[in-house]
Amino acid sequence: MDDTGRELRPLEDPEDDCYSSSSDDTPENGFHQSTRICLEYIREAMLHHRWQEAAEYMACYPQMLEDTSFGYTDISDLVWRLSTEILHHHPNSNMDDYNSIYERMKHSGFKHYLKISLEHSFHLLLHGHIVDAKRQLLTTASWRYGKEQAVQHQKAKLIHAYRSLLDYILWCDKKVSNSDPGKESCDIQEKNNNFRQASVNLKEIVRNPGVWDPFILSYVEMLEFYKDHKEALSVLNDYAYDNNFPPNPNAHVYLYQYLKRHDAPEKKLLKVLKILHVSVPSHELMLEYSSLLLQSGKLKESDIQKAFRIIVEMLDFACWRSNLDVWNSLKAIIQKLKSQKDWRKVVHAEMAGRKDWWPVLHFTSFHASKDSDENPDLMEVKASLINVLCPGETVYIRVLSSDVKQLVINKQFERLKRNWQLKVLFPCTELTWKYFIY
Amino acid sequence: MLFSEAATGGALTFVPFSPSGGTGCLVYPGSQGLNELNFHSVELQHHRGGSSALTSSSDRFSFQLKGPIRQISSASLFNNCCVAVRSDHLCGIWSFSDGVEPRLLQVVDTREVATCVSASPHVLGEVLVASESGAVNLWTVGKGMQKVREDNSNLFFNATSPWRWCEFSAHPRVMVYADRTGAELTDMRMNPFSGHALFRISSTAECRRGERLILSRYLGDAHSFHHLVTTHLSAYVVDERFPCVPMLKWDHMMQSAPLFCHVLPGSASSDSGAGGARSTKVVLGSHSSQEITLLQYSGGRAEACFSRGPPQALLRPRDSLGHLPVQIPHRLDVATHRLSSAAAGLTCVEQKGEGSDCLCVLQLTEAGDIFYQILEPEQPDDDKASSRLPAALDDEQTATSERRNAEHIAPYSLSVAEDTSSDNSMIGPTQHLSAPMFVAETPERERRAEVTSSDSDDWVPGRKRRILQSLGLRVVVNDDSEPDYASGSEEGAEDGTKGGAKADDAEKPCSVEERVRSSRSLAPIDSSEPSLSTVTLVTWKRWLQKLMRKSRDKKLRPRRSQNITTTTKGLLRLPADRKRDSTEDELVRSVRRDLRTCMSDRSLLLRGAVSSSLAALDPVPLPDTVDTDAWSDPLSRRLTLSWQGGEEVWRAWWADEMGLNRAEKERALRRKRRREKEAKRATGRRLELSGSFTTSCSYQSDLDSICGPIGWSSMASQETLSDAEGAGRRQWECGTTRAAYRPPVVLSDALVATPTATPVNDRRGDQRSPSIKSLSQMVKPVITPANQRSRRLTQDALLALQDERSQLNVDPPEQLSFPTRNLGVGLSGRAPLRASVSQWLSLSQGSQGRPGPASQAKKRKSRMGF
Repeated sequence: MDDTGRELRPLEDPEDDCYSSSSDDTPENGFHQSTRICLEYIREAMLHHRWQEAAEYMACYPQMLEDTSFGYTDISDLVWRLSTEILHHHPNSNMDDYNSIYERMKHSGFKHYLKISLEHSFHLLLHGHIVDAKRQLLTTASWRYGKEQAVQHQKAKLIHAYRSLLDYILWCDKKVSNSDPGKESCDIQEKNNNFRQASVNLKEIVRNPGVWDPFILSYVEMLEFYKDHKEALSVLNDYAYDNNFPPNPNAHVYLYQYLKRHDAPEKKLLKVLKILHVSVPSHELMLEYSSLLLQSGKLKESDIQKAFRIIVEMLDFACWRSNLDVWNSLKAIIQKLKSQKDWRKVVHAEMAGRKDWWPVLHFTSFHASKDSDENPDLMEVKASLINVLCPGETVYIRVLSSDVKQLVINKQFERLKRNWQLKVLFPCTELTWKYFIY
Repeated sequence: MLFSEAATGGALTFVPFSPSGGTGCLVYPGSQGLNELNFHSVELQHHRGGSSALTSSSDRFSFQLKGPIRQISSASLFNNCCVAVRSDHLCGIWSFSDGVEPRLLQVVDTREVATCVSASPHVLGEVLVASESGAVNLWTVGKGMQKVREDNSNLFFNATSPWRWCEFSAHPRVMVYADRTGAELTDMRMNPFSGHALFRISSTAECRRGERLILSRYLGDAHSFHHLVTTHLSAYVVDERFPCVPMLKWDHMMQSAPLFCHVLPGSASSDSGAGGARSTKVVLGSHSSQEITLLQYSGGRAEACFSRGPPQALLRPRDSLGHLPVQIPHRLDVATHRLSSAAAGLTCVEQKGEGSDCLCVLQLTEAGDIFYQILEPEQPDDDKASSRLPAALDDEQTATSERRNAEHIAPYSLSVAEDTSSDNSMIGPTQHLSAPMFVAETPERERRAEVTSSDSDDWVPGRKRRILQSLGLRVVVNDDSEPDYASGSEEGAEDGTKGGAKADDAEKPCSVEERVRSSRSLAPIDSSEPSLSTVTLVTWKRWLQKLMRKSRDKKLRPRRSQNITTTTKGLLRLPADRKRDSTEDELVRSVRRDLRTCMSDRSLLLRGAVSSSLAALDPVPLPDTVDTDAWSDPLSRRLTLSWQGGEEVWRAWWADEMGLNRAEKERALRRKRRREKEAKRATGRRLELSGSFTTSCSYQSDLDSICGPIGWSSMASQETLSDAEGAGRRQWECGTTRAAYRPPVVLSDALVATPTATPVNDRRGDQRSPSIKSLSQMVKPVITPANQRSRRLTQDALLALQDERSQLNVDPPEQLSFPTRNLGVGLSGRAPLRASVSQWLSLSQGSQGRPGPASQAKKRKSRMGF
C-alpha cells in the first residue's frame, strides 16, 4: 500500500501534472495561482456537468498559453482536451467552434499535431462530414516535422489506416449507388480508385501486429468484391495465425465466416473451430462446431465424445445455462452417445470434475421452478438428462416428478403449470437449502 | 496513506427482492465499531416530480461480530441471497431471502489477514477468500476451504504489496485473481495453479507509469464476460474472452483511488425501443475523499462498447453543508467532522418502472452514517423528442449526446440522508417531522425543545439515553444543464417529504428535503440562493441537535467518570438494634473524661490510662511476614521489590527484566573484571613496576649507547636483574644512579598531570613492554653476583615509588604510556630535566616507531600474556 501511495502521489490529478512539475522549480506567482484556481473550477464544473460554467472559466484559461514558464506543450494539450470536451457537451456549441479550436490547437505546437488532426477527423466523421474528414487526414498524412519519432510513427500509421477506412466508406457509398443500372462509368472509375488507395494502405497496415478488426473486415470485403480470394484468405490467415499478433478470437471467427461463405471443406472449418474452442469455449460457434462434428461423413465415436465435451463445457458458462438450443443439442448428443458401449464411462469421466457444482448450477429446486415458469420445454429437456449427467441428483426431479408424470399421463400442460405454481408458492424449506448442506 | 486497503470492496450492500428493484434488504455494519451486521428491509419510494425517499421497515436483524466489518459481498439467485462478510481474521456467510430471516451458515477463521471475499454468483454458498499471503481459498459452505491458488509474489512485477483480490468469472470454476500489478484468469481445477493475464498494468493500452490496480469487479449482471478493472487514474472494461485488450477505458478523474464500486446493468441494446438502450452505469466511490463518480456505457454485444458522456461527480455528504443555513462555529465543526468521515461503502438501489426510473445511491461512512441521494433521468419527454431528433439534425454526435443526456441520470435531485446507527435504543415508531420544533440556541433550550416535541411523538421513554438517531437531510439540487428543458422543469419550490422517519434505529434515512434550485438561466454560475423548505430546515435542525447532544455527551462522559461519588450513608452507623446498657455508658463517659484530661494536660492518651475502664482488646495477630525468598516467580519478585524499595527499585527491576540495562551491566562487569585484574596485577606489581622502570632505563641505555658511556648500560642491566633478585641497593647511593633514577620521578609527575590514562594508551603500553623484555634478555648474561647488593637497594627504592603510584590507582602499563604532550607540560617547570626527558621521549618514540623484527615477535607473545 505504501508503495502504491508513494507512486500515486505525483499522479493524483492528471490535470495538475504540469503544475506540480513546474511549480517545484519556480515559485508560484499571482498569475499562476489564479490560473490554478481557475483550472480547479473548470474541473469541478465539468465533473458536475455544468458546461456553461465551465465554458466561461475556460474562456479565461488559455491565457496560460502565453506564460512561457510552464511546459508549453503540456498546457496546450490540456487546453485542447478541456475545450473540446466542453464543446462536446455544451448545448450551444457548433461546428465552427470546433473547427477553430482544432485548427488553433493543432498549430500551437508540433508535438500534438498528429493526435489533434486525428481527433479532428474523427469529429468530422461523427458528424457525417466524411469527405472533409478524409481531406483532413490527407493533409495530415503528408505532414512532416523533423525526424520521425516512434510516437509520430505510430500516429502516422493510424492516420493511414483511418484514411483507408474512409476510402472504404466512400467505396461502399459508390457501390450502393452503382448498383442502380445506368450510372456513368466515371463513378465506377472513382470507386476503383478508392479501392486501390484503400487496399494499398491497408495491406501495409494490417501487417503490423495489433487488433485491426474493422480494417480487416473492410479490406476483406473489398477483396471479395473484386474476387481476389487468394489475397483475402491470406490476409485472414495471417491475422489469425501470426504469432506476433495478440491472441484475437475474432480473427478466427472472421476466418471461419469467410471459409463458410466460400464453402470451404468441412475439415478446414473444423480446424478453425477447434482453435477457437481452445481460446473461447463459450463462443456461440461452438454449437456449430458440435453439430459439424456430428454431421461429418463417417461418424466416429471420438467425434461424438468431443461434441459432448464441447456442449457440456458451454453449459458451464452463465450465458448458456438456460439456452434451450444447447440443452437440446446435448440431449441429441447423448442419444447418439448411448449407442456406444462404454457411454456411461465417457459421461462419467466428463462429469467427474463437475459433480460438485453441476447439480447446484443446473438442477436445484429454484431452477426447477424457474424453468417451469419461464420455459417448460427447457425443463423437460433438463429433467430427462438429469439421470445421465448427475445420477442421484433428485432435487430437480423430485420437485418436478409428479408434474412430469402428469405430463406424461395426461399431456395436459396447463394443469402441470398450475400444479407447479402451487409448488412454488409453498416451497419446501428443506429442499430450498438442501444444497447448502449436502 | 491515501486509502485504507482493508476497506476495499465496501461494507454496504443492497439486495433487491423485487424485479423492479425498489424494495430489498440493505446489509450494513452498525454500532460504533462497525462490528454489528444489520439486515434491514428498505423501500425506495419514488414519484416522479414529487418526493422520493428511502424508507425502511421496522424489521431489522442484527448480529454482533467480533471485529469491524470490512467488506460485504452478496450474491443472489432466485431471490435467495448469500452474504459473505469479511473482517480482518473472520469471514462469515449468512443466507436469507425475502420473508426468511437471515441466518448464519458458517464462519471461518483465516490465519492471515483476509483481503477479499467474493460470493459466487453461480453457486450460492461458494465464496472465494483471498488473504495477504497470496492464497485464495474456495470456501464451500458445509465443505470447508479448498486452496485454489497460492502466489507469494506479485503477478507481473514486484509491487511489494500483500493485497490480493479475487472475483468469479463467467465460468463457475474460473476466477479472476488480481493484485496491484494486474489480474489473471485462473482455472481453479488446474493444479499446479496457472493463469493467463487478463489485465496487466504495464502492457495494457495507455496505462501510465506508476498506476496500480485498485479494484476488480465481475460485471456478470451487465455482460457475462465483462470485468471492470479500476486503477488510480482509469477504469477499464475488459472482456475475459479477449484478454489484455480493454473494451473501454475512462479516466475517472477522481482525486483518490476508487475503492468501492457498484454496477447497474443496463438493458441489452436489442430491446432499445423508444428511449434507446439504457446504459450500464458504474458508480465508483473513493475512501477518504468521499467522492462518487458515475460512469455510463453501453454496447458490448452487437456493437462495440462506448462510453456515454464524461464522468459525472455526485454530491458528497460533506458538500451538503454548503446548502444549509450557517451555524455557529462549534456546531459547524462537529457537523463538518461528522459529515467528512471517510467513506466505507457504496451501493445503489434502482427502481425501474414506467416513467418512474430512479436511482438511489447510498454511501456508508466510517462513522456509521448512511447517506443517500436520488438521481432521476433527465426529462423523459425531452428524451423522446431527442430520440426523434437525430435524423433531422443529421448530426450524429449531437444525437448521441442528446440521447445520452436524456437517458442518463442527471444529478437533478440529490438527496442526502443521514442516519447514524450508533445505538439500539428505540425511538417511537411515529416520529412526525411536522412536529413543531424549536431552533435551540442553547443546550437548555434545546432540551426543552425536545421535551416539547416529545409530546407529539413518543420518544419520551428512553430519551435520556437516546443517542443520535435517524436523522436525515436530503438535499435536492436542481441544476440543469440543458436550457431548453429548463423552462419546462420549473417545479414547485419545495416538497418536503418526509422520508422514512423510521422509528427504529439506526438506519433510517430520514428526510429532510431541500430543494436547491439553481436557475440555470443566463447566469450560469448560479449562486442563486437555494431555497430550503421548512421541512428541510426542521429535519436538519433536529439532526444537528442530536449530533450536538451526542458530542456533548461524549465530552461529559469523562468528567462524570472522574467524580465518582460513593454513597456512604448507612455504611457507617452504630448498630441500632443493640441496647446499650448502663455500664457501657459509664465506660464511654469515663473514657471521654480521660480523654479530656489528657487533652488539657497535653499528654497522650495511653492505653494504660484507660485500660482499667476498657475491656482488654483482642490483639490482632500480625500476619506472618512474607518470606520473600519463598516466592521466586517474577511477579512475586517484582512485588517484593516494589514493596521494599519503592519506585526506583521497581523500575530497575523492569529494566533488568527487559534487558534494557544490558549494555550498562556489561560495562559494569567489564569494570569489575578490570579491577580484579588490577588487584591480581598488584600482587605481582613488583615485576611490572620494575619492568616499567626498566623501560625508562632501557631508553636511557639506548641513549647511552648513542652517547658512548658504557657504565649506563651495565647499570641498567643491574636494575633489571634486581627485579629478580631483589638486591643491589648500594648502587642507588651513588650519583649516577640518582641520575638514572630520575625518569621514574618524572613519570609520577606526569601521572599527576594526567591522572586518567586514556584507553588509547593501552596499545602503546603493549608495544613498549616487548622492548623491555628484549632488553632484559639482552642484558641477562651480564649478571654478576657482585651486583646483588645494589640490586636490593634498587628494590627498596622501587617499593617506595610503588606506594606513591598505587595511590594514583592507575595501571602500571598505562603509566608507562602517558601521552607525550602531557609529559611536556608536566615537566615544563623543570628546566634541568627537560633535556634528558625530551631525549628520553624522542627515544621512546623512536623505539616505538621502528620496532625491530625481534620485538615484533615478542610483542605477540607478550600480548598473549597480557
